[in-house]
Amino acid sequence: MKRTVVLMMMLLLLWQSACQKGEQDRGSRTTVVFWHSFVSSTIPAFNKLLQRFEDEHPDIHIKAQYIPSGDALIQKLITAIQSNTAPDISWIHADYLEDLVTADAIYKMDAFIQGENGLSEEEMSDIYPSLKQLSSWRGTLYSLPMEATNLGLLYNKDHFRQAKLDPEKPPATWQELKDYALKLTLDKDEDGTFDQLGFFVPIYPASGPLNGWMVWQWFPYLWQAGGHVINPEQTRVLYNEPPGVKALTLWRDIYKALNLKTFTTDYDIAFAAGRVSMAMDGPWNLPRFNKMLKNMDWAIAPLPQGPEMKATVAGGEYLAIFKQTEVPDAAWTFVKWVIQPEIQAFWSIESGYLPIRSKVLEIPAYVTYLDENPNLKTYVLQLEHSKAPRPFDYYNMENTRAMAQAIEKATLGDVDPKAALDEAAVKINKLLKTVERN
Amino acid sequence: MKPLKSLKIVSIHIFIYAGALLTVAPFLWMVLTSLKGLGEILAYPPTFLPETFHFGNYVEAFRTASFGRYYLNTFIVAVSCTLGQLMTCSMAAFAFARLRFWGRDALFLLFLGTMMIPGQVTMIPTFIILYWLGWIDTYWALVVPGLASAFGTFLLRQFFLTIPRELEDAAYIDGCSRFGVLWRIILPLSRPALATLAIFIFMYFFNDFLWPLIVVNSEEMRTVQLGLAVFRDRYLTQWDLLMAGSVTATLPILLVFFVAQKYFIKGITLSGLKD
Amino acid sequence: MQSGIPPTKMDTSKQRNRRQKIRFYRREGMSAIFFLSPTMLVFSVFILFPVLFSFYLSFHSWNMFSSERTFVGLENYHHMITNPEFWQVLKNTAIYTFATVPLSIALALAVAFFLNKKIIGKKLLRTAYFTPVIVSAVAAAVIWRWIYDPSFGLLNYALGLIGIAPINWINDATAAMAALIIMGVWKSLGFNMVLYLAGLQGIPEHYYEAADIDGAGGWLKFWRITVPLLGPTTFFITVMSVITSFQVFDIVYVLTHGGPMGATKVLVFYLYEHAFKFFNMGYASAAAYVLFAIIFIFTLLQIRYGRSKVHYTV
Repeated sequence: MKRTVVLMMMLLLLWQSACQKGEQDRGSRTTVVFWHSFVSSTIPAFNKLLQRFEDEHPDIHIKAQYIPSGDALIQKLITAIQSNTAPDISWIHADYLEDLVTADAIYKMDAFIQGENGLSEEEMSDIYPSLKQLSSWRGTLYSLPMEATNLGLLYNKDHFRQAKLDPEKPPATWQELKDYALKLTLDKDEDGTFDQLGFFVPIYPASGPLNGWMVWQWFPYLWQAGGHVINPEQTRVLYNEPPGVKALTLWRDIYKALNLKTFTTDYDIAFAAGRVSMAMDGPWNLPRFNKMLKNMDWAIAPLPQGPEMKATVAGGEYLAIFKQTEVPDAAWTFVKWVIQPEIQAFWSIESGYLPIRSKVLEIPAYVTYLDENPNLKTYVLQLEHSKAPRPFDYYNMENTRAMAQAIEKATLGDVDPKAALDEAAVKINKLLKTVERN
Repeated sequence: MKPLKSLKIVSIHIFIYAGALLTVAPFLWMVLTSLKGLGEILAYPPTFLPETFHFGNYVEAFRTASFGRYYLNTFIVAVSCTLGQLMTCSMAAFAFARLRFWGRDALFLLFLGTMMIPGQVTMIPTFIILYWLGWIDTYWALVVPGLASAFGTFLLRQFFLTIPRELEDAAYIDGCSRFGVLWRIILPLSRPALATLAIFIFMYFFNDFLWPLIVVNSEEMRTVQLGLAVFRDRYLTQWDLLMAGSVTATLPILLVFFVAQKYFIKGITLSGLKD
Repeated sequence: MQSGIPPTKMDTSKQRNRRQKIRFYRREGMSAIFFLSPTMLVFSVFILFPVLFSFYLSFHSWNMFSSERTFVGLENYHHMITNPEFWQVLKNTAIYTFATVPLSIALALAVAFFLNKKIIGKKLLRTAYFTPVIVSAVAAAVIWRWIYDPSFGLLNYALGLIGIAPINWINDATAAMAALIIMGVWKSLGFNMVLYLAGLQGIPEHYYEAADIDGAGGWLKFWRITVPLLGPTTFFITVMSVITSFQVFDIVYVLTHGGPMGATKVLVFYLYEHAFKFFNMGYASAAAYVLFAIIFIFTLLQIRYGRSKVHYTV
């Protein structure tokens, strides 16, 4: 009994002291709450960015709050909107832009762009069009990109040398990709399973959190073959037409030939362990790989060119300003600041992300930096032919799921690529017919 | 000792130790992995003991975030909930196990029923209530919803049912109140059950991820499990750091369990009844 | 001693003073209010209300972002039972539950039974068996993923040492379900063991002594004394195990992602994706209530079965 009382008292004291700590550090500055999901390796760069902003804007304090990415961010946003506790700015994803807009939760960017402290038409047109597509819903801009990403080919030069391939000539076409993948796949100890894998085809469960990541990596192949995701009127998906079938057949052929079914899906780890020779990857991993792969001769190459064209897929993180904010102007000040060319150059150098506008490439210091960092440069040069799988304004999540199922069935399963894609298309086309358009 | 009997004892030992080894192996693997450098983590065939003990992962994991603060928060929440729930659950369990009142069985079934609805669909309404109360991003939001539980009530009720009534009857005749009977007779007799429940509650709140995620916004309010999430992005997992962080998050409870065992194993249960 | 929800009649001890008893029972209602009020206060606000609210939602269409909720009647339920995926998911959940629950309970009882005997190093053993319970589900799933990994995994390596061909734990439908079940048993074994250990403390020694005098063997004592006297504990463990297994989510979410090709997609995973991937909370709530109905029926069956068993009174 006595012990319980003592314990309770101690607890009360702890509560007290712990609560007080949280109340400090509130000056007279305007506070802007910013939700983000930068991974721990990016946090130091992000803190530098915020420091620079606050140095230049002493009256504004950015209160950055880390939210684990993916579902956690969605759940936090939903509960926040329902209870009027939304942040001022948040990272958002194109997947649920529609829901945020229909719930009237976020501002149209035009409200700020057209305003006094706005952006000129020239500035707006400097932003890569694919990124603007990703920030928009039904043709209206609801967010602005903070950084860009795209997909390149990560490859192990030592493996190339061992297979008597030129390490400075990564595969440039689909045929080469396939040939090299086979040449680089080895069963070193001859136990019947491959120990080294030529090319990692990213197959993940369609039901899982990585399905979007898998589909995202497939888009470039669809485009390279001359295909399209959806028709311009957004009434019918087009990925089950011959180019799409060709792209999925390529994946299927490599997947089956390399027996990837029996291989790990942690491609980055496998690459670091020297067990994967080529894999697709994005610039966000550069800081980590620079540290992790010191003893390896590796590089980033552009994605191989398809039968019809060069293409990679565009991505990035998008900032939206919430209507529940009490400080929309301060929030906008930050969003506008972060897309300035000098800041974009600074941010790209610090974080390894790509700039969102072409003006950055005219900054001499940045150009010099790129020359010293050829891997980043490869990604930056790809920005030009980065495409967005958008607009896809209706049933986007359902479509991602359907496409993921098709890809999974054709590779992991034994369904014919054409049949798998048809099944997805039929399902989504049916849904698209139910959309009320106005 | 007969040879047959000693053979039996030996085989029981083998069975129980082999099982324990299998059970603890994944955790041991986690500890060993957390002490390896990344290069060694990736080696195949896997190495068993680390070539060199790599405490850098721990240092790095702790440097990434203010884990000290996270531990403080987690302890405050877990201890508050444990004490509160032991109190509310034992009272409610007493009512269900010992008192006769109108609608008792129906109410009990309702308690059981609420456990059958997964938390994923009740999360949002609960959040909104906390918002109405103005408790978002405070300890209240983390603690108060955890002050009652159908699980704990159910567990204690089942144990109270196994306690013979003779002792209580004697106490009632001596003029003891019902609360007195619960406090002086039933609770001391249920020490193993209370200790078991205490460790379950403590562990639950120590490991809870989803609820703190939803109600906590600021850095100062974060718990250990939220802190660990930073090593596990959607696309990549920082194995070395996550392992180190998880090991340190597991050790405190493991220690509590190891020390507190005597309470729920060597209870003085029912000793008064041996005749 | 009774297992299950007891019949309300209490044991009537003849020595007891009748008049005193009547006076006492009259006040039981008031006492019950006193004893239940702290729990009821928290319970009704933070547990019961949200549960009822989700029942209300199951008849609506709601994307959670907007404040608008459209009444759709039984449409969510209708969609669900006409959706073949739902039945597949239900089947997966049932397979998982009916494999995990008996395995975990039987093993837990065996381990607890032996740990209650004279064993060297009890403390350490108990801690070892309890460790999986303590490791958070996410950390556990992460380490198991690593153990199951087809290229780096410890498990296939270990199996290889004893001459078993590598098993494709993640990409083969049957193996993936087995992987989940193994992990499920691993995670719940210690939990049930601790409950059984606590239950075993409650069995008075003199029962065994009496049996010894009658010359009963070890097995007989186990089946005739230990198992029946653990009735209430077993009832608790079974009900809880069925509830938690039907609601299995975390380990699926981190370990298999519901794959390959939906082979390990379970009910809560299914409703979760409808809630937070397709933003249809109404449908997710309806699925939650179907889940509720299934578990509830199982629990009622267990109560019935528990009641029909022989009761031992002390």
